[in-house]
Amino acid sequence: MHLVFAYIDPGAGSLVIQAIIAGLVSIPFFFRNAIRNTFGRFRRKPTDGAAATGSSASADKGAANSDSE
Amino acid sequence: MTDRPAAVREPGSYRDPSGFVFRRDGVLYRQINASFADDWAAFESSGLHTALVSEGILVADEPASVDLAPEPGAVAVIQPDEIGFISHPFEWSFSQLKDAALLTLRAQSMAGERGMTLRDASAYNVQFRDGKAVLIDTLSFERAAGDQPWKPYRQFCENFLAPLALMAHRDGRLGQLLRTWVDGVPLDLASELLPRRTRFLSPGLAAHVHLHARAQRQHAGESTPDGATAPRAVTMSETRRLALLDHLRRTVEGLKLPAQGTVWADYADQTSYSEAGTTSKEALVRRQLEAVAAEGGRRAWDIGANTGRYSAIAADAGFWVLALDIDWAAVERHYLALRATGERRIMPLLADIAEPSPGIGWANAERAPLIDRSNADVVIALALVHHLAIGRNVPLPMISRLMARLSPHLIIEWVPKSDRMVERLLAAREDVFADYSPEGFRAAFRTDFEIVEETPIEDSGRVLFRMRRHP
Repeated sequence: MHLVFAYIDPGAGSLVIQAIIAGLVSIPFFFRNAIRNTFGRFRRKPTDGAAATGSSASADKGAANSDSE
Repeated sequence: MTDRPAAVREPGSYRDPSGFVFRRDGVLYRQINASFADDWAAFESSGLHTALVSEGILVADEPASVDLAPEPGAVAVIQPDEIGFISHPFEWSFSQLKDAALLTLRAQSMAGERGMTLRDASAYNVQFRDGKAVLIDTLSFERAAGDQPWKPYRQFCENFLAPLALMAHRDGRLGQLLRTWVDGVPLDLASELLPRRTRFLSPGLAAHVHLHARAQRQHAGESTPDGATAPRAVTMSETRRLALLDHLRRTVEGLKLPAQGTVWADYADQTSYSEAGTTSKEALVRRQLEAVAAEGGRRAWDIGANTGRYSAIAADAGFWVLALDIDWAAVERHYLALRATGERRIMPLLADIAEPSPGIGWANAERAPLIDRSNADVVIALALVHHLAIGRNVPLPMISRLMARLSPHLIIEWVPKSDRMVERLLAAREDVFADYSPEGFRAAFRTDFEIVEETPIEDSGRVLFRMRRHP
Protein backbone atom coordinates (compact mmCIF):
# COMPACT_ATOMS: atom_id res chain seq x y z
CA MET A 1 0.00 0.00 0.00
CA HIS A 2 1.21 3.43 -0.85
CA LEU A 3 -0.63 5.96 1.21
CA VAL A 4 0.11 9.58 0.63
CA PHE A 5 1.13 11.49 3.72
CA ALA A 6 1.01 15.25 3.55
CA TYR A 7 0.25 18.01 6.00
CA ILE A 8 -2.16 19.48 3.50
CA ASP A 9 -5.03 17.27 2.41
CA PRO A 10 -4.21 16.16 -1.13
CA GLY A 11 -7.84 15.05 -1.57
CA ALA A 12 -8.79 11.52 -2.54
CA GLY A 13 -10.51 12.56 -5.76
CA SER A 14 -7.62 14.85 -6.67
CA LEU A 15 -5.13 11.99 -6.34
CA VAL A 16 -7.21 9.64 -8.48
CA ILE A 17 -7.91 12.14 -11.25
CA GLN A 18 -4.30 13.33 -11.17
CA ALA A 19 -3.12 9.80 -11.95
CA ILE A 20 -5.63 9.43 -14.77
CA ILE A 21 -4.81 12.81 -16.34
CA ALA A 22 -1.08 12.16 -15.97
CA GLY A 23 -1.53 8.84 -17.79
CA LEU A 24 -3.32 10.55 -20.66
CA VAL A 25 -0.99 13.49 -21.07
CA SER A 26 2.12 11.35 -20.79
CA ILE A 27 1.44 9.98 -24.31
CA PRO A 28 1.76 13.31 -26.19
CA PHE A 29 4.48 14.27 -23.71
CA PHE A 30 6.50 11.21 -24.68
CA PHE A 31 6.14 11.86 -28.41
CA ARG A 32 6.91 15.55 -28.10
CA ASN A 33 10.10 14.75 -26.27
CA ALA A 34 11.00 12.08 -28.81
CA ILE A 35 10.50 14.56 -31.67
CA ARG A 36 12.45 17.24 -29.84
CA ASN A 37 15.32 14.86 -29.21
CA THR A 38 15.43 13.81 -32.85
CA PHE A 39 15.17 17.24 -34.46
CA GLY A 40 16.89 19.05 -31.63
CA ARG A 41 20.11 17.27 -32.61
CA PHE A 42 20.16 19.08 -35.94
CA ARG A 43 18.99 22.36 -34.56
CA ARG A 44 21.33 22.62 -31.65
CA LYS A 45 24.62 22.58 -33.57
CA PRO A 46 24.71 26.25 -34.63
CA THR A 47 23.65 27.46 -31.17
CA ASP A 48 26.60 25.61 -29.68
CA GLY A 49 28.91 27.69 -31.79
CA ALA A 50 27.16 30.84 -30.66
CA ALA A 51 27.20 29.75 -27.03
CA ALA A 52 30.91 29.01 -27.20
CA THR A 53 31.63 32.64 -27.99
CA GLY A 54 29.25 33.76 -25.24
CA SER A 55 30.31 33.82 -21.64
CA SER A 56 29.92 32.06 -18.30
CA ALA A 57 26.98 30.14 -16.91
CA SER A 58 24.50 30.09 -19.78
CA ALA A 59 27.14 28.96 -22.27
CA ASP A 60 28.32 26.23 -19.90
CA LYS A 61 24.77 25.05 -19.39
CA GLY A 62 24.10 24.93 -23.13
CA ALA A 63 27.24 22.92 -23.67
CA ALA A 64 26.42 20.54 -20.84
CA ASN A 65 22.96 19.89 -22.25
CA SER A 66 24.13 19.11 -25.75
CA ASP A 67 26.92 16.89 -24.48
CA SER A 68 24.55 14.60 -22.62
CA GLU A 69 23.37 11.65 -24.64
CA MET B 1 19.41 33.64 28.05
CA THR B 2 16.39 34.89 29.94
CA ASP B 3 16.80 38.53 28.99
CA ARG B 4 16.67 37.98 25.26
CA PRO B 5 13.68 39.56 23.47
CA ALA B 6 10.49 37.49 23.39
CA ALA B 7 9.63 35.62 20.23
CA VAL B 8 6.38 36.31 18.43
CA ARG B 9 5.09 33.67 16.08
CA GLU B 10 3.81 34.98 12.74
CA PRO B 11 0.03 34.54 12.76
CA GLY B 12 -0.06 32.97 9.29
CA SER B 13 2.51 30.30 10.16
CA TYR B 14 0.66 27.50 11.91
CA ARG B 15 -0.34 24.83 9.41
CA ASP B 16 2.93 23.04 8.88
CA PRO B 17 4.22 20.93 11.80
CA SER B 18 7.74 20.92 10.36
CA GLY B 19 8.50 24.47 11.39
CA PHE B 20 7.24 28.01 11.64
CA VAL B 21 8.17 31.65 11.21
CA PHE B 22 8.64 33.99 14.14
CA ARG B 23 10.08 37.36 15.01
CA ARG B 24 12.51 38.16 17.75
CA ASP B 25 13.43 41.79 18.27
CA GLY B 26 11.78 42.60 14.96
CA VAL B 27 13.98 40.14 13.05
CA LEU B 28 12.32 37.40 11.01
CA TYR B 29 13.42 33.80 11.68
CA ARG B 30 12.23 30.33 10.79
CA GLN B 31 12.42 27.38 13.18
CA ILE B 32 12.91 23.95 11.62
CA ASN B 33 11.70 21.04 13.72
CA ALA B 34 13.39 17.70 14.35
CA SER B 35 10.53 15.91 12.57
CA PHE B 36 11.71 17.58 9.36
CA ALA B 37 15.46 17.15 9.94
CA ASP B 38 16.03 14.50 7.24
CA ASP B 39 14.17 16.45 4.57
CA TRP B 40 15.99 19.63 5.53
CA ALA B 41 19.32 17.80 5.24
CA ALA B 42 18.31 16.43 1.83
CA PHE B 43 17.25 19.91 0.72
CA GLU B 44 20.80 21.07 1.44
CA SER B 45 22.74 18.04 0.22
CA SER B 46 20.80 17.74 -3.05
CA GLY B 47 21.97 21.22 -3.98
CA LEU B 48 18.35 22.31 -4.43
CA HIS B 49 18.53 25.00 -1.77
CA THR B 50 21.54 26.66 -3.42
CA ALA B 51 20.12 26.27 -6.93
CA LEU B 52 16.76 27.82 -6.04
CA VAL B 53 18.33 30.76 -4.27
CA SER B 54 20.91 31.43 -6.97
CA GLU B 55 18.21 31.42 -9.66
CA GLY B 56 16.17 33.88 -7.60
CA ILE B 57 13.29 31.41 -7.21
CA LEU B 58 13.51 31.18 -3.43
CA VAL B 59 14.39 33.92 -0.92
CA ALA B 60 17.90 33.63 0.41
CA ASP B 61 18.50 32.82 4.06
CA GLU B 62 21.33 32.75 6.56
CA PRO B 63 21.79 30.10 9.21
CA ALA B 64 21.08 31.47 12.68
CA SER B 65 21.75 30.14 16.17
CA VAL B 66 19.44 27.28 17.13
CA ASP B 67 19.27 28.91 20.59
CA LEU B 68 16.92 31.45 19.07
CA ALA B 69 14.24 28.79 18.60
CA PRO B 70 11.22 29.74 20.70
CA GLU B 71 9.78 26.24 20.93
CA PRO B 72 11.29 22.85 21.78
CA GLY B 73 12.17 20.38 19.04
CA ALA B 74 14.21 22.68 16.81
CA VAL B 75 17.10 21.30 14.76
CA ALA B 76 17.88 24.56 13.03
CA VAL B 77 16.93 28.21 12.83
CA ILE B 78 17.38 30.26 9.71
CA GLN B 79 17.06 33.97 9.06
CA PRO B 80 15.38 34.50 5.68
CA ASP B 81 15.73 37.73 3.70
CA GLU B 82 12.69 39.76 4.50
CA ILE B 83 10.24 40.89 1.83
CA GLY B 84 9.57 44.62 2.26
CA PHE B 85 5.86 44.47 1.60
CA ILE B 86 3.71 41.34 1.90
CA SER B 87 0.93 41.24 -0.68
CA HIS B 88 -1.99 38.83 -0.93
CA PRO B 89 -2.89 36.87 -4.08
CA PHE B 90 -6.26 38.61 -4.44
CA GLU B 91 -4.35 41.89 -4.60
CA TRP B 92 -2.51 40.73 -7.71
CA SER B 93 -3.55 41.22 -11.28
CA PHE B 94 -3.94 38.32 -13.68
CA SER B 95 -0.33 38.31 -14.86
CA GLN B 96 1.04 38.61 -11.35
CA LEU B 97 -0.91 35.50 -10.34
CA LYS B 98 0.13 33.77 -13.54
CA ASP B 99 3.81 34.53 -12.92
CA ALA B 100 3.42 33.21 -9.38
CA ALA B 101 1.86 30.01 -10.78
CA LEU B 102 4.67 29.49 -13.28
CA LEU B 103 7.25 30.13 -10.56
CA THR B 104 5.64 27.42 -8.43
CA LEU B 105 5.78 24.93 -11.31
CA ARG B 106 9.39 25.88 -12.04
CA ALA B 107 10.30 25.26 -8.41
CA GLN B 108 8.66 21.83 -8.56
CA SER B 109 10.49 21.02 -11.77
CA MET B 110 13.86 21.98 -10.27
CA ALA B 111 13.04 19.96 -7.15
CA GLY B 112 12.13 16.94 -9.27
CA GLU B 113 15.51 17.03 -11.01
CA ARG B 114 17.17 16.66 -7.62
CA GLY B 115 15.04 13.95 -6.08
CA MET B 116 12.96 16.41 -4.11
CA THR B 117 9.40 17.65 -4.43
CA LEU B 118 7.38 20.72 -3.55
CA ARG B 119 4.98 19.73 -0.81
CA ASP B 120 2.64 22.67 -0.92
CA ALA B 121 1.52 25.10 -3.59
CA SER B 122 -0.21 27.90 -1.75
CA ALA B 123 -0.25 31.19 -3.61
CA TYR B 124 0.61 32.84 -0.29
CA ASN B 125 4.03 31.18 -0.51
CA VAL B 126 4.84 33.51 -3.38
CA GLN B 127 5.69 37.17 -2.92
CA PHE B 128 6.97 39.90 -5.20
CA ARG B 129 10.42 41.34 -4.68
CA ASP B 130 12.29 43.67 -7.04
CA GLY B 131 9.53 43.25 -9.60
CA LYS B 132 9.71 39.46 -9.64
CA ALA B 133 7.84 36.60 -8.06
CA VAL B 134 9.81 34.65 -5.45
CA LEU B 135 8.99 31.73 -3.15
CA ILE B 136 9.22 32.58 0.53
CA ASP B 137 8.58 29.20 2.16
CA THR B 138 12.00 27.62 2.55
CA LEU B 139 10.41 24.55 4.18
CA SER B 140 8.26 23.70 1.16
CA PHE B 141 10.58 20.97 -0.13
CA GLU B 142 10.83 17.34 0.91
CA ARG B 143 12.37 14.14 -0.44
CA ALA B 144 10.34 12.68 -3.28
CA ALA B 145 9.12 9.11 -2.91
CA GLY B 146 9.67 7.37 -6.23
CA ASP B 147 6.15 6.60 -7.30
CA GLN B 148 3.98 9.15 -5.55
CA PRO B 149 1.63 11.62 -7.21
CA TRP B 150 2.20 15.34 -6.75
CA LYS B 151 0.57 16.03 -3.39
CA PRO B 152 -0.19 19.73 -3.85
CA TYR B 153 -1.88 19.14 -7.23
CA ARG B 154 -5.26 20.04 -5.81
CA GLN B 155 -3.85 23.06 -4.01
CA PHE B 156 -2.20 24.27 -7.21
CA CYS B 157 -5.47 23.99 -9.13
CA GLU B 158 -7.43 25.79 -6.43
CA ASN B 159 -4.87 28.50 -5.71
CA PHE B 160 -3.74 29.27 -9.23
CA LEU B 161 -5.41 27.50 -12.10
CA ALA B 162 -9.06 28.03 -11.14
CA PRO B 163 -8.81 31.78 -10.44
CA LEU B 164 -6.64 32.35 -13.53
CA ALA B 165 -9.09 30.44 -15.72
CA LEU B 166 -12.03 32.40 -14.32
CA MET B 167 -10.25 35.69 -14.95
CA ALA B 168 -9.29 34.70 -18.48
CA HIS B 169 -12.56 33.09 -19.53
CA ARG B 170 -15.20 34.86 -17.44
CA ASP B 171 -14.22 38.17 -15.85
CA GLY B 172 -11.00 39.78 -14.65
CA ARG B 173 -12.63 40.66 -11.33
CA LEU B 174 -13.08 37.04 -10.33
CA GLY B 175 -9.58 36.94 -8.85
CA GLN B 176 -11.39 38.42 -5.86
CA LEU B 177 -12.79 34.98 -5.08
CA LEU B 178 -9.41 34.32 -3.45
CA ARG B 179 -10.36 36.87 -0.85
CA THR B 180 -13.27 34.72 0.30
CA TRP B 181 -11.49 31.38 -0.10
CA VAL B 182 -8.08 31.78 1.52
CA ASP B 183 -7.20 28.17 0.63
CA GLY B 184 -8.12 28.57 -3.01
CA VAL B 185 -11.24 28.67 -5.17
CA PRO B 186 -13.32 25.48 -4.77
CA LEU B 187 -13.12 23.59 -8.04
CA ASP B 188 -16.83 22.77 -8.19
CA LEU B 189 -17.53 26.49 -8.04
CA ALA B 190 -14.92 27.27 -10.68
CA SER B 191 -16.30 24.52 -12.88
CA GLU B 192 -19.79 25.94 -12.55
CA LEU B 193 -18.73 29.51 -13.26
CA LEU B 194 -16.52 28.80 -16.25
CA PRO B 195 -18.16 29.02 -19.67
CA ARG B 196 -19.34 25.70 -21.10
CA ARG B 197 -16.92 25.93 -24.00
CA THR B 198 -14.00 25.42 -21.59
CA ARG B 199 -15.25 21.84 -21.07
CA PHE B 200 -14.74 20.98 -24.72
CA LEU B 201 -12.35 23.45 -26.27
CA SER B 202 -9.73 23.71 -23.55
CA PRO B 203 -8.26 20.30 -22.73
CA GLY B 204 -6.26 21.72 -19.81
CA LEU B 205 -9.27 23.24 -18.08
CA ALA B 206 -11.48 20.30 -18.99
CA ALA B 207 -9.04 18.03 -17.17
CA HIS B 208 -7.65 20.04 -14.27
CA VAL B 209 -10.80 21.98 -13.37
CA HIS B 210 -13.93 20.27 -14.71
CA LEU B 211 -12.97 16.59 -14.42
CA HIS B 212 -11.03 17.34 -11.28
CA ALA B 213 -14.13 18.88 -9.66
CA ARG B 214 -16.15 15.86 -10.69
CA ALA B 215 -13.62 13.45 -9.25
CA GLN B 216 -13.62 15.36 -5.98
CA ARG B 217 -17.39 15.00 -5.79
CA GLN B 218 -17.23 11.29 -6.55
CA HIS B 219 -14.55 10.56 -3.99
CA ALA B 220 -15.81 12.92 -1.32
CA GLY B 221 -15.31 11.45 2.15
CA GLU B 222 -12.77 8.85 1.14
CA SER B 223 -9.94 10.47 3.00
CA THR B 224 -11.82 10.58 6.30
CA PRO B 225 -9.65 9.19 9.09
CA ASP B 226 -12.32 6.97 10.64
CA GLY B 227 -11.42 4.30 8.14
CA ALA B 228 -14.90 3.88 6.67
CA THR B 229 -13.12 3.94 3.37
CA ALA B 230 -9.38 3.99 3.40
CA PRO B 231 -7.49 6.54 1.35
CA ARG B 232 -6.67 5.16 -2.02
CA ALA B 233 -3.27 3.93 -3.01
CA VAL B 234 -2.33 6.02 -6.00
CA THR B 235 1.00 5.59 -7.67
CA MET B 236 2.51 7.50 -10.53
CA SER B 237 5.70 7.01 -12.48
CA GLU B 238 8.29 9.74 -12.81
CA THR B 239 7.45 10.24 -16.51
CA ARG B 240 3.80 10.70 -15.69
CA ARG B 241 4.62 13.18 -12.97
CA LEU B 242 6.73 15.16 -15.43
CA ALA B 243 3.99 14.96 -18.05
CA LEU B 244 1.41 16.24 -15.58
CA LEU B 245 3.63 19.13 -14.60
CA ASP B 246 4.32 19.96 -18.23
CA HIS B 247 0.61 19.89 -18.97
CA LEU B 248 -0.17 22.19 -16.05
CA ARG B 249 2.50 24.61 -17.27
CA ARG B 250 1.08 24.60 -20.81
CA THR B 251 -2.42 25.12 -19.46
CA VAL B 252 -1.35 28.09 -17.34
CA GLU B 253 0.72 29.58 -20.15
CA GLY B 254 -2.22 29.23 -22.51
CA LEU B 255 -4.48 31.37 -20.34
CA LYS B 256 -4.76 34.91 -21.68
CA LEU B 257 -6.97 37.82 -20.78
CA PRO B 258 -9.31 38.94 -23.52
CA ALA B 259 -8.01 42.18 -25.05
CA GLN B 260 -10.31 44.70 -23.47
CA GLY B 261 -9.78 47.88 -21.53
CA THR B 262 -11.90 49.35 -18.80
CA VAL B 263 -12.85 52.92 -18.19
CA TRP B 264 -9.97 53.34 -15.75
CA ALA B 265 -7.17 51.93 -17.80
CA ASP B 266 -7.78 54.61 -20.43
CA TYR B 267 -8.17 57.28 -17.79
CA ALA B 268 -4.63 58.64 -18.02
CA ASP B 269 -5.28 59.62 -21.62
CA GLN B 270 -8.51 61.48 -20.90
CA THR B 271 -7.93 63.57 -17.81
CA SER B 272 -8.98 67.16 -17.77
CA TYR B 273 -5.35 68.24 -18.05
CA SER B 274 -3.95 70.25 -20.90
CA GLU B 275 -0.37 69.59 -21.93
CA ALA B 276 0.79 72.58 -19.89
CA GLY B 277 -1.18 71.28 -16.92
CA THR B 278 0.42 67.84 -17.16
CA THR B 279 3.93 69.28 -17.38
CA SER B 280 3.24 71.55 -14.43
CA LYS B 281 1.80 68.72 -12.34
CA GLU B 282 4.68 66.36 -13.10
CA ALA B 283 7.28 68.95 -12.18
CA LEU B 284 5.43 69.84 -8.97
CA VAL B 285 4.98 66.24 -7.89
CA ARG B 286 8.66 65.56 -8.55
CA ARG B 287 9.70 68.56 -6.48
CA GLN B 288 7.46 67.57 -3.55
CA LEU B 289 8.73 63.99 -3.64
CA GLU B 290 12.32 65.21 -3.63
CA ALA B 291 11.47 67.31 -0.58
CA VAL B 292 10.13 64.22 1.22
CA ALA B 293 13.16 62.19 0.10
CA ALA B 294 15.41 64.90 1.54
CA GLU B 295 13.71 64.32 4.89
CA GLY B 296 14.59 60.62 4.69
CA GLY B 297 11.52 59.23 2.90
CA ARG B 298 12.22 55.97 1.07
CA ARG B 299 8.88 54.24 0.48
CA ALA B 300 5.85 55.72 -1.22
CA TRP B 301 2.29 54.50 -1.60
CA ASP B 302 0.79 55.90 -4.77
CA ILE B 303 -2.95 55.54 -4.18
CA GLY B 304 -4.99 55.61 -7.36
CA ALA B 305 -1.85 55.02 -9.40
CA ASN B 306 -3.69 53.97 -12.55
CA THR B 307 -1.01 52.76 -14.95
CA GLY B 308 1.77 54.41 -13.00
CA ARG B 309 2.67 57.78 -14.54
CA TYR B 310 3.43 59.29 -11.13
CA SER B 311 4.73 56.06 -9.61
CA ALA B 312 7.55 56.30 -12.16
CA ILE B 313 8.31 59.84 -11.05
CA ALA B 314 8.41 58.66 -7.44
CA ALA B 315 10.76 55.80 -8.37
CA ASP B 316 13.01 58.28 -10.17
CA ALA B 317 13.03 60.42 -7.04
CA GLY B 318 14.51 57.41 -5.22
CA PHE B 319 11.42 55.78 -3.73
CA TRP B 320 10.31 52.17 -3.60
CA VAL B 321 6.69 52.51 -4.70
CA LEU B 322 3.53 50.56 -3.97
CA ALA B 323 1.21 51.54 -6.81
CA LEU B 324 -2.35 50.84 -5.71
CA ASP B 325 -5.33 50.98 -7.98
CA ILE B 326 -8.92 49.89 -7.73
CA ASP B 327 -9.09 48.64 -11.32
CA TRP B 328 -7.66 45.25 -12.20
CA ALA B 329 -7.08 46.23 -15.82
CA ALA B 330 -5.00 49.25 -14.81
CA VAL B 331 -2.95 47.11 -12.39
CA GLU B 332 -2.51 44.50 -15.10
CA ARG B 333 -1.34 47.05 -17.65
CA HIS B 334 0.98 48.62 -15.12
CA TYR B 335 2.52 45.27 -14.14
CA LEU B 336 3.05 44.23 -17.77
CA ALA B 337 4.68 47.58 -18.60
CA LEU B 338 7.02 47.32 -15.60
CA ARG B 339 7.87 43.70 -16.38
CA ALA B 340 8.69 44.62 -19.98
CA THR B 341 11.11 47.36 -18.92
CA GLY B 342 12.59 45.43 -15.99
CA GLU B 343 11.60 48.15 -13.52
CA ARG B 344 12.19 46.75 -10.03
CA ARG B 345 11.24 49.57 -7.69
CA ILE B 346 7.49 49.64 -8.30
CA MET B 347 4.98 47.07 -7.06
CA PRO B 348 1.49 47.37 -8.60
CA LEU B 349 -1.29 46.26 -6.27
CA LEU B 350 -5.01 45.83 -6.75
CA ALA B 351 -6.76 47.54 -3.84
CA ASP B 352 -9.63 49.86 -3.10
CA ILE B 353 -8.57 52.38 -0.47
CA ALA B 354 -12.23 53.05 0.35
CA GLU B 355 -12.62 49.37 1.23
CA PRO B 356 -9.11 48.05 1.88
CA SER B 357 -8.29 44.33 2.19
CA PRO B 358 -9.46 43.15 5.61
CA GLY B 359 -7.65 40.74 7.93
CA ILE B 360 -8.61 37.25 6.78
CA GLY B 361 -8.03 33.62 7.66
CA TRP B 362 -7.79 32.22 11.18
CA ALA B 363 -8.92 34.71 13.83
CA ASN B 364 -8.86 37.41 11.13
CA ALA B 365 -5.13 37.51 11.76
CA GLU B 366 -3.64 35.02 9.32
CA ARG B 367 -3.38 37.56 6.51
CA ALA B 368 -3.00 41.13 7.67
CA PRO B 369 -5.29 43.99 6.62
CA LEU B 370 -3.90 46.40 4.05
CA ILE B 371 -3.86 49.36 6.44
CA ASP B 372 -1.73 47.42 8.96
CA ARG B 373 0.79 46.62 6.24
CA SER B 374 1.56 50.27 5.55
CA ASN B 375 5.28 50.88 5.32
CA ALA B 376 4.87 54.22 3.58
CA ASP B 377 6.92 57.27 4.37
CA VAL B 378 4.72 59.24 2.01
CA VAL B 379 1.30 58.77 0.47
CA ILE B 380 0.76 60.20 -2.99
CA ALA B 381 -2.93 60.88 -3.58
CA LEU B 382 -3.36 62.50 -6.97
CA ALA B 383 -6.78 62.93 -8.55
CA LEU B 384 -8.17 60.85 -5.69
CA VAL B 385 -9.90 63.09 -3.18
CA HIS B 386 -13.02 63.70 -5.32
CA HIS B 387 -13.47 59.98 -5.93
CA LEU B 388 -13.49 59.37 -2.18
CA ALA B 389 -15.36 62.48 -1.03
CA ILE B 390 -17.96 62.63 -3.78
CA GLY B 391 -17.83 59.25 -5.51
CA ARG B 392 -17.92 57.31 -2.23
CA ASN B 393 -19.43 59.91 0.15
CA VAL B 394 -16.47 59.82 2.56
CA PRO B 395 -16.33 63.06 4.64
CA LEU B 396 -13.04 64.96 4.21
CA PRO B 397 -11.99 64.64 7.90
CA MET B 398 -12.22 60.84 7.58
CA ILE B 399 -10.03 60.89 4.48
CA SER B 400 -7.48 62.96 6.36
CA ARG B 401 -7.52 60.53 9.31
CA LEU B 402 -6.90 57.53 7.08
CA MET B 403 -4.03 59.25 5.27
CA ALA B 404 -2.52 60.13 8.66
CA ARG B 405 -2.73 56.47 9.69
CA LEU B 406 -0.93 55.41 6.54
CA SER B 407 2.09 57.69 6.54
CA PRO B 408 3.79 60.75 8.03
CA HIS B 409 3.97 62.64 4.73
CA LEU B 410 1.22 63.32 2.26
CA ILE B 411 1.25 64.71 -1.26
CA ILE B 412 -2.36 65.29 -2.20
CA GLU B 413 -4.12 66.99 -5.05
CA TRP B 414 -7.17 69.13 -4.42
CA VAL B 415 -9.75 68.84 -7.18
CA PRO B 416 -12.36 71.63 -7.07
CA LYS B 417 -16.06 71.24 -7.76
CA SER B 418 -15.67 73.22 -10.97
CA ASP B 419 -13.37 70.50 -12.34
CA ARG B 420 -14.72 68.53 -15.28
CA MET B 421 -14.14 65.22 -13.49
CA VAL B 422 -16.07 66.37 -10.43
CA GLU B 423 -18.86 67.74 -12.61
CA ARG B 424 -19.06 64.31 -14.17
CA LEU B 425 -19.36 62.66 -10.73
CA LEU B 426 -22.11 65.10 -9.77
CA ALA B 427 -23.91 64.94 -13.10
CA ALA B 428 -26.56 62.43 -12.09
CA ARG B 429 -26.91 63.11 -8.40
CA GLU B 430 -27.76 65.74 -5.85
CA ASP B 431 -24.86 67.85 -4.59
CA VAL B 432 -24.91 67.03 -0.88
CA PHE B 433 -21.28 68.05 -0.42
CA ALA B 434 -21.46 71.53 1.07
CA ASP B 435 -18.10 71.08 2.84
CA TYR B 436 -16.33 70.13 -0.38
CA SER B 437 -14.46 73.40 -0.81
CA PRO B 438 -10.83 74.51 -0.55
CA GLU B 439 -11.55 75.88 2.93
CA GLY B 440 -13.32 72.70 4.02
CA PHE B 441 -10.42 70.65 2.64
CA ARG B 442 -7.76 72.67 4.46
CA ALA B 443 -9.72 72.65 7.72
CA ALA B 444 -10.26 68.89 7.55
CA PHE B 445 -6.61 68.06 6.89
CA ARG B 446 -5.20 70.58 9.40
CA THR B 447 -6.59 68.38 12.18
CA ASP B 448 -4.03 65.69 11.35
CA PHE B 449 -1.42 67.48 9.24
CA GLU B 450 0.58 70.65 8.93
CA ILE B 451 0.30 72.05 5.41
CA VAL B 452 3.92 72.55 4.33
CA GLU B 453 3.37 73.75 0.80
CA GLU B 454 0.43 74.45 -1.45
CA THR B 455 0.88 75.19 -5.15
CA PRO B 456 -1.73 75.68 -7.87
CA ILE B 457 -1.33 73.38 -10.84
CA GLU B 458 -1.18 75.43 -14.01
CA ASP B 459 -4.15 75.58 -16.30
CA SER B 460 -6.40 73.34 -14.18
CA GLY B 461 -7.88 74.95 -11.07
CA ARG B 462 -6.40 72.10 -9.04
CA VAL B 463 -3.93 72.56 -6.17
CA LEU B 464 -1.10 70.31 -5.03
CA PHE B 465 -0.52 70.12 -1.27
CA ARG B 466 2.41 68.71 0.65
CA MET B 467 1.60 67.96 4.27
CA ARG B 468 3.42 66.63 7.31
CA ARG B 469 1.60 64.68 10.01
CA HIS B 470 1.41 66.35 13.43
CA PRO B 471 3.90 64.73 15.78
